Amino acid sequence: MIPAEFRNEPILELRRAAVRDSLSDALRELDSRLPLEVPALIGGERSVSGVFDSTDPGMPERVVARAGLAGEGEAAAAVAAASERGFREWGSRSPAERASVLRDAASRLRSRRLELAALQVRECAKPWPEADADVCEAIDFLEYYAAEAVELGRGRELLQVPGERNTMRYAPRGVAVVIAPWNFPLAIPCGMTAAALAAGNAAVLKPAEQSPGSAGALVEALHDAGVPPAALSLLPGYGEAGAALVRDPRVHVIAFTGSGAVGLEIVRAAAETPDGQGHVKRVVSEMGGKNCVIVDSDADLDDVVPELVHSAFGFAGQKCSAAARALVHEAVAERLVERLGGAVRVLDVGQAESFATEVPPVIDEEAQERVLRYRSLAGDGVVASAEDVPSSGWFVPPTVVFDLPEDSPVNREEVFGPLLSVTAVRDVDEAMDIVDSLPLALTGGLFSRSPATIERVAARSPVGNLYVNRGITGAMVGRQPFGGNRRSGVGSKAGGPDYLLQFVEPRIVTENTMRHGIPVE
Amino acid sequence: MEGDLQSVGRSIHAAFPTRTRNPLRALDQKAMELASQDAELRAALFRFVDVSPASRSLDDLARHLTEYLDEVDERPPPIEAAMKMSGTRAGRAALGAAAAAGVRHMAHRFIVGETPREAIKPIRYLWEHGAAVSLDLLGEATVTSAEADRYAERCMDALETLAAAAPAWPARPVLEQDSLGPLPRVNLSVKVSALSPLLRPEAPEVGRDDAARRMRPLLVRARELGAHLHIDMESVDTLEATMGLVFELLSDPELRDGPSTGVVMQAYLRESPEQLEQVIEWARATPRASPIVVRLVKGAYWDHEVVDARQHGWTPPVFEEKRESDRNFEALTRRLLEAWPHVRPAIASHNLRSVANAISVNRELGRSDGDLELQVLRGLGDDLAAALAQLGMRVRIYCPVGDMVAGMAYLVRRLLENTSNESFLGDQQRGVSIDELLAAP
Repeated sequence: MIPAEFRNEPILELRRAAVRDSLSDALRELDSRLPLEVPALIGGERSVSGVFDSTDPGMPERVVARAGLAGEGEAAAAVAAASERGFREWGSRSPAERASVLRDAASRLRSRRLELAALQVRECAKPWPEADADVCEAIDFLEYYAAEAVELGRGRELLQVPGERNTMRYAPRGVAVVIAPWNFPLAIPCGMTAAALAAGNAAVLKPAEQSPGSAGALVEALHDAGVPPAALSLLPGYGEAGAALVRDPRVHVIAFTGSGAVGLEIVRAAAETPDGQGHVKRVVSEMGGKNCVIVDSDADLDDVVPELVHSAFGFAGQKCSAAARALVHEAVAERLVERLGGAVRVLDVGQAESFATEVPPVIDEEAQERVLRYRSLAGDGVVASAEDVPSSGWFVPPTVVFDLPEDSPVNREEVFGPLLSVTAVRDVDEAMDIVDSLPLALTGGLFSRSPATIERVAARSPVGNLYVNRGITGAMVGRQPFGGNRRSGVGSKAGGPDYLLQFVEPRIVTENTMRHGIPVE
Repeated sequence: MEGDLQSVGRSIHAAFPTRTRNPLRALDQKAMELASQDAELRAALFRFVDVSPASRSLDDLARHLTEYLDEVDERPPPIEAAMKMSGTRAGRAALGAAAAAGVRHMAHRFIVGETPREAIKPIRYLWEHGAAVSLDLLGEATVTSAEADRYAERCMDALETLAAAAPAWPARPVLEQDSLGPLPRVNLSVKVSALSPLLRPEAPEVGRDDAARRMRPLLVRARELGAHLHIDMESVDTLEATMGLVFELLSDPELRDGPSTGVVMQAYLRESPEQLEQVIEWARATPRASPIVVRLVKGAYWDHEVVDARQHGWTPPVFEEKRESDRNFEALTRRLLEAWPHVRPAIASHNLRSVANAISVNRELGRSDGDLELQVLRGLGDDLAAALAQLGMRVRIYCPVGDMVAGMAYLVRRLLENTSNESFLGDQQRGVSIDELLAAP
């Protein structure tokens, strides 16, 4: 079912100078207001127990947002508000009423698009094209789930026989906890929160400590649009608040996007059913990827090079969908590595605010150290790198490595940075064996001009999202429902027709309509 | 005025050469006819042509062909026969060989040679028969600095090669002189996107500067050799960079006295009237020893622009109805002709009506035929070029040079044009009447 009225929010036409100027103006305006104040909001009350800062990864001394710090106590208070008041107030509204609130929030974000993109440029060093796309995706999630909530509210058709009436409907689960990452600072928290709310749950949002500013803007839009304060709390902070939320027996659903280690820990913790917890928790966990792009010998390298470069190095490789490995047919591997190397050497590494920048800094010092560690593990496997990087800020030179042993950690573990490992393979089948041997299965790519090869790879590929003859990032709501398989995720597909089902419980009612042996209908 | 257009159009039509009897030409004509009748078959043909240079063997080539044809629901008898051949290894080798020969032949129709040196002979032949050329170097996409350097070297080599050969060509006054002065015999078209790996729509100045760095020595050398350098236009994504480069480099006092240069205006762009005004304004304010040539084309990236815009939710930057483009083409033609002598107009079209319109408006403005240049593409506009040359008009044929790998993207685009139901050439091949061919858009 495709919601008839849904259209993706159009991204900005950045090829127009006037559009670029309007964004630069928005950034200047934002800069004049920094740092932003982002309070912890618990059932509508501002909490004042402490503060922490988010900073600009390109200029760490610049404070972007000063956020209220939420810990275990705030987590418990937020869940209490959601469970005692929020769920009752919000869950009793009709799907149509909830949808109209979400659409109102979408229009509030829409009216602040430039400012919100500018905020991501500062807070996450997300370059303009990606920052703008992130804001659009957030708007898409609100619109799409609003439409889906109305659709789901109609229930499903069941088989009917004489004398019996069967109905299937969906009820919200209760309290949903949303634990979100920084790499899509608006879109991902918005998607998970909007889904929880659309389905009628109360939500508690714990954004990443690196990006409280964007989360603050999201919560503000939802509250202003009419989500009751108790039905949506905001808990900026670190892992402590998140862990407390996951353990809380009053929580029904946990929606998480982030690292594999945390995701699996959540799965374990949520499986506990202490006395007094009257339900089993549902976990939606979207974790990392080790995404491979297969290049067959008949691929058009003119397309492969730019698409691969963009998939691996756009936003410094910090998308869960980013290309980490290229598995290239040996007949074209050398030629591809040469061209890819040349393309990487001219990548523009710089501050996110410059429209010329292709590779911005990574999010923080820890990320910088991690990527550099993997890069040094590659040793003399490094074949090309853009070495001209700014000295301050968390920059990492975008790098291509070639021909590393299959068991190198660079080939097996998620790096989450601008590092692409190229491996020559005998044929597509060997490439598929490698893909199959990886525990992560989020996105994948294939460049081939053979319909039979495309079909063969599509049939065998375990990944959640396979992209053929194009880049492997940039999933669009409604067009590419997104999410991983195996240890990358639980198979829920954000921005797709099945996603809201994670946030509801189905209820079937069967009524006997016979009276005195006569069906009364 | 419309009466004059009609009579000019009829005289061009009457001058068209009679159909060639070359059997190979008849064969690829047949293939294109089949393709233009069936969308699935056309898709199969394009995909095959597109992949052919990347195939590793005849067997591999035949396998691809069969896979594409397999997706065609209704297969005409010759295609069915080809499918049957693919069942055996020997059959595939034969099919692969035949198909490879077919693609090669088709490529030769549109591409004048693999290198500038190879192109000299056919270029001289065209010159002797009354048509000048502009050479275009086909190449793979430029994704590295080394590739951009190599393209610049190839351009330099083409300039040198042509300049060494051109003095031996016989005198052709129509082709080498207009009332503003001499016209170079050597004419090279260059693509900004091939001169830099850094062209990105959201940061046009980066690619512009990088390409300008490689363009400048070409302009200097063209001036020394007395050659014309034409800066081609591509998709809207590179428009700002291309126009920026033109204005910046050609405003440089050092390059004011040469070489002869030119730009391109695409009439399918909604914003083209404003763009043309901008160019004319600039040309008035920035006089050059040899006035800038403005080549007016319809535009060759229509599908790309529309699909790209639709995928992003934008209004397409191009007119979506062919008639709108045709009407705009006529309006821009007049505007361009009015701007002479600040610019030298070159009208590039295979549409009989558009060409006749340019000739008659030019005459109506009291200008000599020699102050209007008409341009066509090799392989598509050959008959029109012959007719125009016979009528004493100055015609220039855009001639791509390059090998099969490099030429494939170009070839696919030309084939698409030649088999499109909306194209003028399609109409002409289907035997549409002269009245309809000349009807107002």
